[in-house]
Amino acid sequence: MLRTHENSDSWKAGALAILVHAVLLVAMLISFNWKTAHTVLNVTEVELWDKIPESNPPEIEVEPQPVLEEKPEPKPEPKPIVEEKPKPEEPKVDIELENKKKELEQKKLDEQRKKQTLDKIKQEAREDELREKKATEHKINDDKLRKLKEEMLNEAGADDAKASSAANASLIGEYTEKIKTKIRNNVNKSLCGDGSLEIRVEISVLPTGQISGSPTFTKSSSNATCDDAVERAIIASEPLPLPDDADLKVQFKNLKLKFRPND
Amino acid sequence: MTVANDMSLLTLIMGASLPVQAVMVILLITSLFSWWYIFIKVATIKRAETESEEFENKFWSGGDLNKLYEAVTAGRRKPQGMASIFEAGFKEFVRHRQQSRMEVSDVMEGSRRAMRAAYNRELDDLDAHLPFLASVGSVSPYIGLFGTVWGIMNSFRGLSNVAQATLSQVAPGIAEALVATAIGLFAAIPAVIAYNRFASSVDRLSVRYESFMEEFTNILQRKS
Repeated sequence: MLRTHENSDSWKAGALAILVHAVLLVAMLISFNWKTAHTVLNVTEVELWDKIPESNPPEIEVEPQPVLEEKPEPKPEPKPIVEEKPKPEEPKVDIELENKKKELEQKKLDEQRKKQTLDKIKQEAREDELREKKATEHKINDDKLRKLKEEMLNEAGADDAKASSAANASLIGEYTEKIKTKIRNNVNKSLCGDGSLEIRVEISVLPTGQISGSPTFTKSSSNATCDDAVERAIIASEPLPLPDDADLKVQFKNLKLKFRPND
Repeated sequence: MTVANDMSLLTLIMGASLPVQAVMVILLITSLFSWWYIFIKVATIKRAETESEEFENKFWSGGDLNKLYEAVTAGRRKPQGMASIFEAGFKEFVRHRQQSRMEVSDVMEGSRRAMRAAYNRELDDLDAHLPFLASVGSVSPYIGLFGTVWGIMNSFRGLSNVAQATLSQVAPGIAEALVATAIGLFAAIPAVIAYNRFASSVDRLSVRYESFMEEFTNILQRKS
């Protein structure tokens, strides 16, 4: 392979060759960012609508419940402490006088006690009255509340019924529109020319989104190739988008579509 | 959301199919050899040029041809390049002159033949490895292309099994396959450049040798 006169250079040349490759490899590894990180686009399908359907049922405003002002219960009044009066010192004077005095004091004490019991009774009576009053107030309040609640519930129920029917209608509209756009995207528009054609098609959609049978044209576009294109597009759009609600799916059993392929 | 694909060179090479890997290995070895030969040839051609330069300087300095011949043959190694041509021609000339019963034209013819033989040997040495570089330059892109085609075929075959074809399913395979072409080009481009450069250098050297041969023949003819 090598000439004799080349032997002296062969080692040097081999080392240089390997060096060249190493340099190139390093340059490639450094200069290129081999780890490519790219953002994944979140693809969203956008449908353009002429009118905004009332897809959101009107929100039922839940009226705040009237907060009952809790009346602080009257605190039971502290029981009057019967003060035991210290016994008067026994005077070393007349016993009679003493006795009289005792009697007098006794009387006084008795009177005091009587007064106290009376007070007690009176207070109890007052408390009872208060309690009764409160109870009646509570009752009235409760009644009012109940009435209010019932009224509110009735109203809400009525609203709900209305809203759900409206929502259903709008959902059906929304999904028919979705079906239309899906079909329109599949139509080969070059087959339909430029004119403003209108096609009416009846299709029966199964709850799975499949089409049972073949679509029947109630109004043809007077352009056989266009009709064929639309039919093919309808079949290609399977499964058609349907709402999740099983009751609503039934409504798509006989779907009549008015269809303008050139729009 | 970001998706990080590990597309480093190593994973690309390791992930390639076996034929593609074989192509890459072949191309790498070819590239190594071609660079080895390139460096060898750079050294030898440079040396041949400097040696012929030196010899011409010595030759045209007007010294005695016998002395020059002794100086050339005195060295341990065989004379190379212009010196070897001179040596062959002068040796033949001296031998014929010693026999002294030959015509001048025969003597000149003999020395000329000897010089022609030495010249051919020298050219053969100078031309060594150039055909290898030429074939590397012309063939290695095709080898790389073969690897690429094979890899792309594989990646498209894998694509047929999936319902929805996305670019991310083919892209790694194609990237792997394209590495083969890249290596092929990397081997080919320097080889072609080197081949062209060496071919022109060898041409110039051979012209120089030939003109020296003519001039030396004239000198010998004058001497005889």
